[in-house]
Amino acid sequence: MTVRSVRVTERMGARRLLLIAVLAAAVLIGFVAVQNLAPAAVYYLTPTEALQRRVAAGTAARLGGQVETGTLRYEPQTRDLRFVLSDGTTRVTVIGTGAPPALLREGAGAVVEGTFAADGTFHATQVIAKHDEQYAPPSPGATPSHRAP
Amino acid sequence: MNLSFADIGTGALRAALPLAIWGIGAAGYAAAKRDGRALASARWSALITLLLVVLAAFAMVGALITHDFSVLYVARNNALETPLFFTVVSLWAALEGSILLWTAILAGATAYVAWRGTRALPRLATTALAVLFAMLAFFLILVTTPAADPFVRSEIVRLNGNGPNPLLQNHPLMALHPPLLYLGYVLFSVPFAYAIASLVLGEGGDRWLIATRRFALVSWALLGVGIVAGAWWSYAVLGWGGYWAWDPVENAAIMPWLVATAYLHSVMVEEKRRLLRSWNLSLVIATFALTILGTFLTRSGVVNSVHAFSLSVIGPLLLGYLVAIVVLSVGLLLWRMPMLRDSGAVGAPLSREAIFLFQNVVFVAATLTVLLGTLYPLIAEAISGDQLSIGRPYFDRVEVPLALALLFLMGIGPQLPWHGASRATLERQFTAPIVAAAGGALLAVAIGLGGAFAVVTYALAAFVAATVVQEFARGIHARRTLHGESAGTALANLVRRNGRRYGGYIVHLGIVLVALAVATSQSRTVEIERTVRAGEHFEVAGYTVAYSGLRTVDEPQRDLLVADLAITGNAADTHLRPALVFFPNATQAVGSPGISAGLGDDVYTILVAYDTTARSWATIRVLVIPLVSWLWLGGGVVGLGAVIAALPQPARRELVRPLAEAPATVGD
Repeated sequence: MTVRSVRVTERMGARRLLLIAVLAAAVLIGFVAVQNLAPAAVYYLTPTEALQRRVAAGTAARLGGQVETGTLRYEPQTRDLRFVLSDGTTRVTVIGTGAPPALLREGAGAVVEGTFAADGTFHATQVIAKHDEQYAPPSPGATPSHRAP
Repeated sequence: MNLSFADIGTGALRAALPLAIWGIGAAGYAAAKRDGRALASARWSALITLLLVVLAAFAMVGALITHDFSVLYVARNNALETPLFFTVVSLWAALEGSILLWTAILAGATAYVAWRGTRALPRLATTALAVLFAMLAFFLILVTTPAADPFVRSEIVRLNGNGPNPLLQNHPLMALHPPLLYLGYVLFSVPFAYAIASLVLGEGGDRWLIATRRFALVSWALLGVGIVAGAWWSYAVLGWGGYWAWDPVENAAIMPWLVATAYLHSVMVEEKRRLLRSWNLSLVIATFALTILGTFLTRSGVVNSVHAFSLSVIGPLLLGYLVAIVVLSVGLLLWRMPMLRDSGAVGAPLSREAIFLFQNVVFVAATLTVLLGTLYPLIAEAISGDQLSIGRPYFDRVEVPLALALLFLMGIGPQLPWHGASRATLERQFTAPIVAAAGGALLAVAIGLGGAFAVVTYALAAFVAATVVQEFARGIHARRTLHGESAGTALANLVRRNGRRYGGYIVHLGIVLVALAVATSQSRTVEIERTVRAGEHFEVAGYTVAYSGLRTVDEPQRDLLVADLAITGNAADTHLRPALVFFPNATQAVGSPGISAGLGDDVYTILVAYDTTARSWATIRVLVIPLVSWLWLGGGVVGLGAVIAALPQPARRELVRPLAEAPATVGD
């Protein structure tokens, strides 16, 4: 065997090694991705759907509904937030920590993200006031109602 | 007759569409028959189309400035009290205006190729011109039909409009971020068109790639800087203290950027080693297809729900366009595959081309995994009807290791010679960087960074930075010994004469800054929320935050409820004013954070809630975020490096000039 042909076979071996390494990396990455997909899925449910599906305590979920009138309570000192989220059929007590978003209002829509506790209450890590994307045009000459209180 | 801005715009766009369609035929005929008159006709079509579309864009700005609420777009996105600056940038505040801007940029790229490109490479560029005209015609169809007609008239003319989306009139970055992204997206049409032209003509060579190298680099840099500007906007406006949320809109922008980054590197392998020809064509096609996919995802409403898709007219059109592009390009590529043989083979595993190949695989894997996470909710909803989203944990767990792998490869690749490296080369190139990596890891541990990922990031960042410094030091040293230049002159000449290489190193330094910023800010942010009364204060991470009360500020287009904070400690002495902003027609107040930015810490304050009845208390959230400004800085350094790499290099006269200028040092 000449020196040159030895080097060529070495090259071929190196190429195969490279190809195997690239394939192995692709398979590994694909595996990690698929493994991590399901645990990161957060389902968007109404309280009724959550009840019907028996969402297990501790599973991340996102609930959408209305803040029931007369239930929104926030204690600035303990930073304890509580309200009832309802879709008209099912009521869920939502417990959060920290001030609610400034525009979270009773009777208006809200989206909460968090987990159900064993007692059926929902522990929210995030509370979003769901607002209208549509802006109402002001009637001509009307006093702007947006003035900060 | 009373001609309004909207009439001018509509007329201009309607006149431009047949011209663009004519251009497809004229350029195609000119390329096929090498017909000079047809080429001249295509050139003038391109120029006149550009002028007409620019006229239409100015007509839209005119309609916005004159508050012509008979135009629906103006009524929806402008109000009498909107400041002039935000009135002008409202051109890209919503769908129709954005597509108009996109069309104008595409018309500019088409005219550039028509007049400049066809001189250098007549046949290839003329074929590419036909492809560009076809894309331009598609976008002109969008803006002249209800799909995205920006000049649709309103039946009832209102006395005042809605004004821009509150979030879009809160920060000057709004002027920068969308146009940069669109420029990046659209300019990539040029490399794509040349690639398609090369396939159509069956050239099989690298001319298309060399001709569009600079276009690819510039569009990549604009897209990258646009993404950083978007992260900065999100940080400065949205009031959550973060800058990246793996939101579908963000993913849509980062995916083409990732593939384009892979492409910019594999281009070098093709230029230097005549390898990866079909791979490079695939990357260009993928990048371009991802820019259209991104537009489709963000503009059709499909990311919110599969069902939103059928509500928009533009969604099905964009989807059809995307499918047509993918099918035609892949078909062409497969048809021409036999002509795209590589001359030679990849060298040893420790050669520059092998590392670039690895880097390409990781970039493509990163893109595909982001794509999977972005599209999975759509697939799941289409199959099972469940609405779900893929949260941050997926992206963080999958993309962070890939990013670290890329950081590592970024340190090795440029340091290895083509073909393969000897043991001596490895020692020469990597001794100092390995020492630096150990130092980086120690530094991370010493400043108490939590988490293995942060420590690894510091080590790799130091590793890459050391390789870059080493390259610069060696280059400067060589020039000093050879040409007897001072260190400063040597550095300037090094960068000027070898812009592509050293510009690339500067880009890598920018990425290092970004990596350090992300690792530090993600692992060391301190967050605290307090409910306080006027006159009270509290401590956070060595800073004292004193609250002195709420006040209302009235501005013509909005009202602000401002919390006055004084920040002292850690050598800081500043006043911050986080606010809630109320816009006349918005039902939701918009938070406006008060930020004190520094090279070390950012102090980020948010007015979370307040006593709506007596204003006796306010809830303030304070985040102390370290090194986050390095992220914007890193984006700027990446842009700077790209500019240096894209600048035309001076003609190589080095062998002659030094002899004439400094004969003494050269010797003999």
